[in-house]
Amino acid sequence: MISFEGVYYSYSDRPGESALDNINLKIEDGALIAILGENGAGKTTLIKHINGLLKPQRGRVVVDEVDTKKTTVASMARKVGLVFQNPDHQLFAETVEKELSFAPVNFGLPPEEVNKMVEWALREFALLPYRDRPPFLLSGGERKRLALASVLCYSPQILILDEPTTGQDSGQKVRLASLFRRLNAEGRTVIVVTHDMEFVADFIPNVVLLSHGHLLAEGPAREILVKKELLENSSLTPPQLVELSWDLGLESPSLSLEEVVSAIMKREGSGT
Amino acid sequence: MRVLRGFDYRRGVTVLHKLDPRAKLVYVILFTALTIIYYNSLLLLLLFLSTVPLVLIAKVGRRWIQSIKGSYVFFILIFAFNFIFNANLTAWPNINAIGAAVASVSMVMRFMTLISIFSTFFLTTAPEDLTQSMVQLGVPYDYALTFNMAMRFVPTLSREAQIIVDAQKSRGLEMEKGNLVQRVKNFIPVLIPLIVSSFRRAELVADAMESRAFGACEKRTTLYVLTMGGKDYLFIIISVVSFLLILSLKLFFGVA
Amino acid sequence: MPILEVQALSYSYPDSPGPSLHGVNFKAEQGEFILVTGPSGCGKTTFCRCLNGLIPNSYGGDFRGEVIVDGLATTEHPVTEVAQRLGLVFQNPENELFCTSVEREVAFGPENLSLPRSEIKSRVDEALSSVGISHLREKSPEELSGGEQQKVAIAALLTMKPKVLVLDEPTANLDPLSAESVVNILAGLNRRSKVTIVLVEHRLEMAAPFADRCVIFDNGTISHDGPPADVLYSDGVDALGIGIPKVVQIAKILAAGLGFEGRPLSSRELSDMLEGERKEANIMGRRADV
Repeated sequence: MISFEGVYYSYSDRPGESALDNINLKIEDGALIAILGENGAGKTTLIKHINGLLKPQRGRVVVDEVDTKKTTVASMARKVGLVFQNPDHQLFAETVEKELSFAPVNFGLPPEEVNKMVEWALREFALLPYRDRPPFLLSGGERKRLALASVLCYSPQILILDEPTTGQDSGQKVRLASLFRRLNAEGRTVIVVTHDMEFVADFIPNVVLLSHGHLLAEGPAREILVKKELLENSSLTPPQLVELSWDLGLESPSLSLEEVVSAIMKREGSGT
Repeated sequence: MRVLRGFDYRRGVTVLHKLDPRAKLVYVILFTALTIIYYNSLLLLLLFLSTVPLVLIAKVGRRWIQSIKGSYVFFILIFAFNFIFNANLTAWPNINAIGAAVASVSMVMRFMTLISIFSTFFLTTAPEDLTQSMVQLGVPYDYALTFNMAMRFVPTLSREAQIIVDAQKSRGLEMEKGNLVQRVKNFIPVLIPLIVSSFRRAELVADAMESRAFGACEKRTTLYVLTMGGKDYLFIIISVVSFLLILSLKLFFGVA
Repeated sequence: MPILEVQALSYSYPDSPGPSLHGVNFKAEQGEFILVTGPSGCGKTTFCRCLNGLIPNSYGGDFRGEVIVDGLATTEHPVTEVAQRLGLVFQNPENELFCTSVEREVAFGPENLSLPRSEIKSRVDEALSSVGISHLREKSPEELSGGEQQKVAIAALLTMKPKVLVLDEPTANLDPLSAESVVNILAGLNRRSKVTIVLVEHRLEMAAPFADRCVIFDNGTISHDGPPADVLYSDGVDALGIGIPKVVQIAKILAAGLGFEGRPLSSRELSDMLEGERKEANIMGRRADV
């Protein structure tokens, strides 16, 4: 479990502004959760606290009973995998294979285990044909897959992704969502920071709303993403189905295509 | 990396920001010459302190301090090398410790003063103004622009370097432990993405520039032209007079 | 004469195993707003670079066919010349903006054209105000949000007075509100100054209502090209891996369930069309009673 207790943080070059202000949040094991908020709301700051890249100035962050202030990022990384938005900020090795082995080797895992993990990742992410190729020669989409693979290959308990859907088409998003569900089924926690309201509405059950460093709301997406005022206060646009529900004057706005369609059919069918 | 904060220009409205870069260049050249001419640590310290009023007028104190503080690694290296060089170690244990220490301190002071002078200049001068002044001084536009670009992307690079460090730490790269060899090796996963990313960016910036007709004409016009005003000439005069006064200490009073 | 004409375009990057584009035929008239989309890796970015001449002039490779911009063939004219008729905006503003003030950034283009200072100044003023960022004139691009940066990039191209603006996923890195703002500005520019807009965009629900045409790329070639309603409601479009707007998905189900005949592209259109069909049903019902 991840627990934020009274966390406060502000950046050194913007001392007056609080990037995170009194955050109290608990994320259970096996959760699939999206962190939403406008630019500057504190989303990236929040996730950097989970693996210890940032340490709270007040309060504490506890991950599986370990206080992040009491350990290094590298040791947290064994449990918390963080995939950054731009894969080019991570890829550096001579071959895809070496790239995948970077993290497990850093954790001091024995060579047989490292090999097993690398083989698994190559197969799982369809990277076998690129095994000996330098990461830089892969296409943009392939590099994004490789960055994700290089974090997942050592099976961290908690996976955090920063904007995983930018540059991905809808087929790739569906595959990503099913990967998340599989990880959840194994009891792993998946946290996604994103602007992509459609992706969240379609695939992520729980959300956390941040605005100006404050926690505005947390809970099931289907309850939170239908509240007009909440969305406005966090400068977020509603998902398409919610906007449709409002524009059509439907009684209960929903995130589900089936529910919206049957609400329309009911209304039109009754001829009013 | 913190030393780069001293070159991170932001807009400002102070007198120093508004001075013509050519006037400021005169100051930089003259005072750089002074730091090179003199060995006397006390004098160098005074030269260093003479830059402080400028920093205060320009209101760039925070970044200036960060860049000086961030250079401490260089200070240590400079001190160490100069000490070894000057201490006549082969005559152990009759090494020239005091002499070497004095020479090393003076080298550190010189370096510190140079950083202060240059960072005061760069913190108060917009890269485009500098480029413009170079062009008006006769430097071909292409060279001036290359210089401009380098400066403009320094903060971008330093920000990216930080992101890369974060990304690799998140994959278990232990940057805080290990002996010297280990730590140098650990820079590779940071350096390579930075270099590759810079090459990629260079291509994209080149595309963007071409897409705005860069190179269409032999001679470009510019939106703004730099003209020297009363304050600029006054600044030049003050710089020259100060230079001569300080120089006279060597010529007439034998200060080294 | 069409402002843009692409004939039998095929292209492979140097050292690439296969072509990124093959057999692409495309035309655009002055004043059209064309939405381009397609799954990842289908050749959209390559296509954009071909439109302004970066391919083949800067990128080399194996280029066949013709791209003609306002009468100029890109293989016979340097990018700097084509760039005065067609502006290209990229995905990541950090790699497009390289000056330290918005004003200078926007002035860079006309300065390159060696225009007189007064002309440069008036073009800068006009571009800033047509994009609604005059208040950002003195700021450094570093201080701006992603959306504002993209607007600066657009203004920087407008000072070249292009007839066509091509934008390669300009909202990819933006939050939804900024993305909407940018698309609205493009729609406004298209309406007022008749600038032809070619917008590569994944968020179809945002851009489709403004577009005159929708072009879908698939595997290096164009698979669909027509009015957005025609394209998005055609069979087989769901399998392409593009983000079909929810309103289209709903309308298709309603067509099967209620015999709904409309092809709305926005919720307002859906609502109007439903009301229209309702009224018609009532009239029919009353006639039947009579």
